[in-house]
Amino acid sequence: MERPDLKQALGRLLGPAEPEIGCDECFEQLDRYVELELAGADADAAVPGLRAHLAGCPACREEHESLRALVGGEQAL
Amino acid sequence: MSTVAGVRVDNRQVDSTIASPEPVLDPESREWLSSLRGSGRERDEAVARLHELLLRAARFECARRRPTLPHLRGNDLDDIAQQAADDALVSVLAKLDTFRGASRFTTWAYKFGLLEAAVKLRRRAWQGREIPLEPETWSLFAGAEIEPDESAEQSELLETLQQAIADVLTPHQRRVLVALALNGVPIDVLAERLNTTRGALYKTLHDARRKLRGHLDELGLSLETPEEAN
Repeated sequence: MERPDLKQALGRLLGPAEPEIGCDECFEQLDRYVELELAGADADAAVPGLRAHLAGCPACREEHESLRALVGGEQAL
Repeated sequence: MSTVAGVRVDNRQVDSTIASPEPVLDPESREWLSSLRGSGRERDEAVARLHELLLRAARFECARRRPTLPHLRGNDLDDIAQQAADDALVSVLAKLDTFRGASRFTTWAYKFGLLEAAVKLRRRAWQGREIPLEPETWSLFAGAEIEPDESAEQSELLETLQQAIADVLTPHQRRVLVALALNGVPIDVLAERLNTTRGALYKTLHDARRKLRGHLDELGLSLETPEEAN
């Protein structure tokens, strides 16, 4: 088994350095953010702080990945 | 200090409420809202279609997580997906008036199905498992890869971090940080055990992280910005 990388461990511990939104706001904005991403628009400029939150919150990051994959997959059909 | 969506926001967090014109609903989203706000058979059929949509999202989430849940059988996963779709349906119908058309209705609804399934799967994975909360028993970054040429500096950083976690944080902040950031407990699992919410726990984690960063800054210890806190 691969041993954990120190940088990753520090990342988990210290979280993102830049300003971030919270989990509730992330959920509120997630659908809009994903559609902007899939449209090739600047989602980070439209929803500041969400990208940083995804870096610091594994649960919200998983849900972002799932929504992006689900919606992106349907658009590709 | 302000409040956004129930989360206290300070100068390290941002208010992402965007001042933008009210979006114009696309025809499909308008049809969804109209039929779900209707009555009789039209509404019943719309609710049934919405449940199918949410079940699709919940099954998608179950399928994505299946490799990490080898102890769950197909029937278990389908039960979880059905429960998630049922709960998501209640949430979506309760929050219908909050849909403003910032995305398509289906994208907005999908996130409820995915969330319900993800939370249930995380909780199922930790069912019956003890949650390590105490800092006395953990060994910070045991086994972490440290490059030989950087080991002295990093050892100092790790020792300082351990000391800071013990000295700078409140007992609650320490328990939350240890569980979430060191022991990998999913935030929904910890929220359930501590009878609180994901948002409240993340606020505690955020405050603890900010304290640690501030403390390390005061000591003049340089930190790299983590790209992703896995």
